[in-house]
Amino acid sequence: MGTMGLALPWKTKITSVLRKPAAVGRWETRVGPSDHLTGGPAQEGAEPANEDAALAAACRAGDLRAYERLYALHGARMKNLARNVLGSTADAEDAVQETFLKVQRSIAGFRGQSSFVTWTYRILINTCYDARRSRLRKKEVTTDEDSEQTPRMEPRAPGAHPSLRMALERALEKLTRHQRDVFLLYEVEGFRHAEIAGMLEITEAASKNTLFQAKKNLRDLLEPPRNGRAELR
Amino acid sequence: MNVTCKDCERIFEDGTAEEWAALEAHAVACATCAEEIRAWKSLSVAAKELRNYSPTPELWSRIERALAEEDARKARRREGQGWFSFLPNISLGWQAVLAGAFVLILTASVVRIIRGPVDHPGKPDPLLKSAALKEVESAESAYEKAIDKLAAEAKPQLDTPATPLLANYHEKLLVLDSAIADLRAQAGLNPSNAQLRYQLLAMYQEKQRTLEEVLEAGK
Repeated sequence: MGTMGLALPWKTKITSVLRKPAAVGRWETRVGPSDHLTGGPAQEGAEPANEDAALAAACRAGDLRAYERLYALHGARMKNLARNVLGSTADAEDAVQETFLKVQRSIAGFRGQSSFVTWTYRILINTCYDARRSRLRKKEVTTDEDSEQTPRMEPRAPGAHPSLRMALERALEKLTRHQRDVFLLYEVEGFRHAEIAGMLEITEAASKNTLFQAKKNLRDLLEPPRNGRAELR
Repeated sequence: MNVTCKDCERIFEDGTAEEWAALEAHAVACATCAEEIRAWKSLSVAAKELRNYSPTPELWSRIERALAEEDARKARRREGQGWFSFLPNISLGWQAVLAGAFVLILTASVVRIIRGPVDHPGKPDPLLKSAALKEVESAESAYEKAIDKLAAEAKPQLDTPATPLLANYHEKLLVLDSAIADLRAQAGLNPSNAQLRYQLLAMYQEKQRTLEEVLEAGK
């Protein structure tokens, strides 16, 4: 699959922005995050810890405005993540709604081991995979001929490079679940490794390594083989 | 800091800012590494194609409705539970004890109904005769007074329970008092029914045991 080689904006000027992570010691390389920080959904890192705790407390008290605030801050990003895991806008909206209901049902048991928002995203990811499994089971029941196990991505609003997006979506489906999750959370949604570690219940080092493996695999899937790469290996 | 082509992947995975800067500097003179860096960063650029944060206010309306419905369902469940609403608050062990007691009482009642009143020579009559009834009532009254004394001793601990265990005991005693009041009302309507008296005695004994445990827990 050499689509990426044709469609990628390879000549785009890329500025490497290093963002200091929550934990001191390492910097995370991020490519141009500022464009999705402005005007896009709020980033978790931008929320003070006390706002996170206040949001959790208000949700625990059953305050619907707190859930509305959670939606205002994270709804679009949650839906985008669900859309990329499930491949359909309708399924993504169902998953986000189900996530809010699960948060409401289990908020009494939230003990604050992680941030409230991290906990919410963990629920969302699990809900998405439950939906994927359930869809797969239904598919197995309805037809034995269709052996395709990955979600069929439905068309959505065209971006700047629709063929690139489609190629990336197809390639992501060939990654392992963890690789796909980490890639989507880090590269698409802009979370830090520390946050991803909390969401997927893995270590920060495992998150970094999984992202590295994911990107390596994506390169292999998307780029035509080049001689230069062999020299590095 | 000196980096070589061999450091490229390690830095991609977990490089520091300094290492990245050194790699970029190295790439100025190394076409292979320059290509690696460009391709690596291009994946991050490509990832933006999967980002669509268009607002969907209608989704919030849906979620809000679902949350409100769930709230209403919860409220209805709470009302429906009545005096059993304490059950989620008491420990699983106590729930099992209460369930066991309930099953025992139910089984005894069913057996009693199925067998019907059968006279067994040498066995006590299920219907208490007036002399026996007086004796039972006076014993019951004395037992009740003794338990009331125990309850008075345990009252300070139960009114302001210092631990979840004591709070659970408090809830359990409320249930037992409610059940005792219920059985006493039935026994008042049917004073000669020995079965009701046995059940009442079982409830008193359970209350006594519970109060003793409260006092023990408070030591």
